[in-house]
Amino acid sequence: MKSLRTFAQIYRRIDQHATRYSVVVVVLLFGLFLEAYMHDFNLVYITLFFVFSLAFSAGPIGILNLGHLEASYLRPGRLFAFQEGQIPIEISNNSATTSWSITLHDEETSLPLDSIKSETSEVLKLPVTPNKRGPFTHKGCYLESKYPLSTVRLVMKIDETYNGVVYPEPKGIPLQSFLQQEKNHYGEEKEFDGLRAYDGSQKLSHIHWASVAKGDISVKVFSKETQTPKLVFNFYTAATDDESRLSQLCLWVLECEKQNLPFMLQMPNRVLNSAKESTDVILETLARY
Amino acid sequence: MLSLKPLQDIKLSPLALLDSAYIIVLLPLMLILKVPMLVFSFIVLVLLFLKKAPAHKFLIVFVFLMGMLALYLSLYGVFSFRGLSRLKLFLELLVYVLIIVVSMQRLTREINFYLLLSPILFLALSLFFFHGIMMLSYVIVEIFILLWLILAHRMSGDMVESFRASMVMFMYSLPWVVVLFIFFPRISFDHADYGFKGENIQRMGHDGTMFLDSKALLVPSDRIVMEVGFDKEVPSSDKLYFRGSILYVDRKDHWEPLPSTVKRKSPIYYPQKGESVDYKVTLYPTQKRWIYLLDMPALAVKGADLDKDLISTVEKPIKAPMHYAATSSLSPKLHDNLDQDTLYASTHFDAKRNPKTYREAQRIKKRFKKPDERASALIKFFQQQSLVYSLKPKALDINNTADSFLFDTRLGYCVHFASSFVVMARMAGIPSRIVTGYKADKANSLNNYLSVKERDAHAWAELYINQHWVRVETTSTASAIDAEAEEILTGHNELLKRLNLHLMYIKYQVETWILYYSNIRQLQLLQYAKENPRFILIFVLSLVALVLITFSITLYFRRPRCTHKILCILEPLLRKLKKEGYSRENGETMHQYFMRYMKDHPDNSVIKEVDKYYETISYGGDSSSATIKQLKSMVKKSLSS
Repeated sequence: MKSLRTFAQIYRRIDQHATRYSVVVVVLLFGLFLEAYMHDFNLVYITLFFVFSLAFSAGPIGILNLGHLEASYLRPGRLFAFQEGQIPIEISNNSATTSWSITLHDEETSLPLDSIKSETSEVLKLPVTPNKRGPFTHKGCYLESKYPLSTVRLVMKIDETYNGVVYPEPKGIPLQSFLQQEKNHYGEEKEFDGLRAYDGSQKLSHIHWASVAKGDISVKVFSKETQTPKLVFNFYTAATDDESRLSQLCLWVLECEKQNLPFMLQMPNRVLNSAKESTDVILETLARY
Repeated sequence: MLSLKPLQDIKLSPLALLDSAYIIVLLPLMLILKVPMLVFSFIVLVLLFLKKAPAHKFLIVFVFLMGMLALYLSLYGVFSFRGLSRLKLFLELLVYVLIIVVSMQRLTREINFYLLLSPILFLALSLFFFHGIMMLSYVIVEIFILLWLILAHRMSGDMVESFRASMVMFMYSLPWVVVLFIFFPRISFDHADYGFKGENIQRMGHDGTMFLDSKALLVPSDRIVMEVGFDKEVPSSDKLYFRGSILYVDRKDHWEPLPSTVKRKSPIYYPQKGESVDYKVTLYPTQKRWIYLLDMPALAVKGADLDKDLISTVEKPIKAPMHYAATSSLSPKLHDNLDQDTLYASTHFDAKRNPKTYREAQRIKKRFKKPDERASALIKFFQQQSLVYSLKPKALDINNTADSFLFDTRLGYCVHFASSFVVMARMAGIPSRIVTGYKADKANSLNNYLSVKERDAHAWAELYINQHWVRVETTSTASAIDAEAEEILTGHNELLKRLNLHLMYIKYQVETWILYYSNIRQLQLLQYAKENPRFILIFVLSLVALVLITFSITLYFRRPRCTHKILCILEPLLRKLKKEGYSRENGETMHQYFMRYMKDHPDNSVIKEVDKYYETISYGGDSSSATIKQLKSMVKKSLSS
């Protein structure tokens, strides 16, 4: 009784669509029916009934194969406008049997999954390319299966919706170029502390010319050098229009995060400090601007 | 139970799966393929085996030309419009064309829709050619294997899991197949020939005439003519006379029925006396119009004519197995009022032929006045002639067959006895005729089932005595039987004969209720169900039992497959603990799991023992069969505790 109730619940969640193989089965049934009726061959009747019963039982078996699955969005990595990202979806099989031949679909892509063993889950990463920054909703995903006979395409919609934020597309001038323009990047120099390989971002006055003469390019490092307290990015001076500014700032924020450099971001109505807010909060502010 | 271990490591590619399907469906068709086509198929197989890359288009063209040549050679001589008028030849041609096309496509190593569909076409075509029990078994296996291969394709070639899944599907569908088979409405058509001509079979013990020379009614074959299912016990052998045709006209070397110009107009006198028996007959194709009824038929069979001599015929020659229900009165007598033509036909003889017989007949005629006394005297005369029953008699003098048989060779079988007796009876003034048909032997019966074979073809006489035709078993007047005939008639080995009969009985039941199940059987079943409510109960219970059996098998194959030997042993215990609310957590070792349970159940020493043996086997390096046995026994004990 319980299983019947479970089946009824599952049945309501799944849509069934005919495939071209269902047409083949119908034609085959008709052909066998004619052969059986016209010739009165019981062997053909038996074949006909087997084909009919197998095609008939394929429906419930397919529904049980798909219906026990649960899909949920996992927290994805950062999504940026116009860049391909991935939304992970966890598919769990809560039944006592393995589910076979499942495909995860959204409007554009499909990801096949050969099998999910009972009481286990698999994570599929769905590729997405958001076409704008800001709030992002992903829905309309569904699980599809043609198991067992390909005669019916079973579709189970994933009701859950993913709501997230797409950050601006990171592009513009690299952080190094920006830093070179900043005079106070290295602060006061106190005591010579050694040499370091030149990577193009240091001041020309710090180049250790003696090493250049030997064929290496090194720069002098001072131990009591005090860096500028903060890198300060200004929204208005970052670029010429809003979207370019947001993209530029996004790029710098990401590069600062990479190089572990503290920074301040002067937005029109507020100032974001990397010491106080996480990078994600800062990026979200840019995304929602 | 079924071991699938050999299949565990097998993963078949889609092409390999498709090839397997083709092998399965083509196997029965190989039996109808002519040698050139078989050679062609073999060459294609070799090419497929040797060539792993897609074939070049020139090779495909070459295969096509080779296929056409094989087709031409296979159908050489019958490959004409006249030949194509035979349905089976036409179907054979279709099979050949399909094989050529499939071979060409397969060599490209590309799976297309057409290649996927063709196995089903081969299956449907093979059903035109074979209808026996072997094919029934094969078709069921074939359907299962095809299902298995389809599922294996869906399940990435996993042969074990796909086998389990196909068993589940097959078992789900089995009760439906049974119910549909029994109740799906049937219409008994003649087999459609779509204008094709049927293939005639000319081989019958009984064919409406009776020859006395080398064409005599002797077909010592075990081919089944008909199978009879009696509603009650099978009657004794002396009552198992199946009436075929009545012969009146002596043509020297053979006997014939009344000419078609003679029409007997008097009403049919159905037998009133004798035990009434109901029986059902499955008559196999005879290509003749007669249907055989037990002496004496009490009613006409539905859809058949019954004439005044109680000979039953159908409108068209019987080309497919025919099923009919009949009722007979087991009486050797039949009331009749002879009209002039019949009286003449049944008393006519040529006085110039058989002078010795005539002389003896006249002696009897003068001595006995009453027909029954004369008949007894005739039987006595035959008995005194020391006639020997032989299946290989010497040739008779065709102009004086009775004299030759009774006074010269004295060797013969039923036709010679019946012919001579009827000639002599007529000479003695008794109207008489020959009846041909089959005389079955109760020894060939099992329960209520009786098989009638070609070798049971028989002839006997009917004498018209006191307005009744009375059956006379003329062959019983033989005073001896020769050794050869005895050997053929009795057979060598009684055990083998009995075994064969049991097999025949099973075959008959399968054929009656499955292969030749028809609307008649359906109606009979419904009628029987109407009259016997207990039968309905048994029927429903049988269906429920079938559903339960298939459901149990389904459950068995649906359960998750256990692949770890020790975990398999522990599985029932783990299930039990889970039911009690102790699920094994992620990362928890088996020992920790058992300890957690033991903490709440300190008295359960059996679990402790299970844990001990598990640790010993898994980590202690002792995986001997004795320790595994101990573990099994502890698990069993834990389940019962």
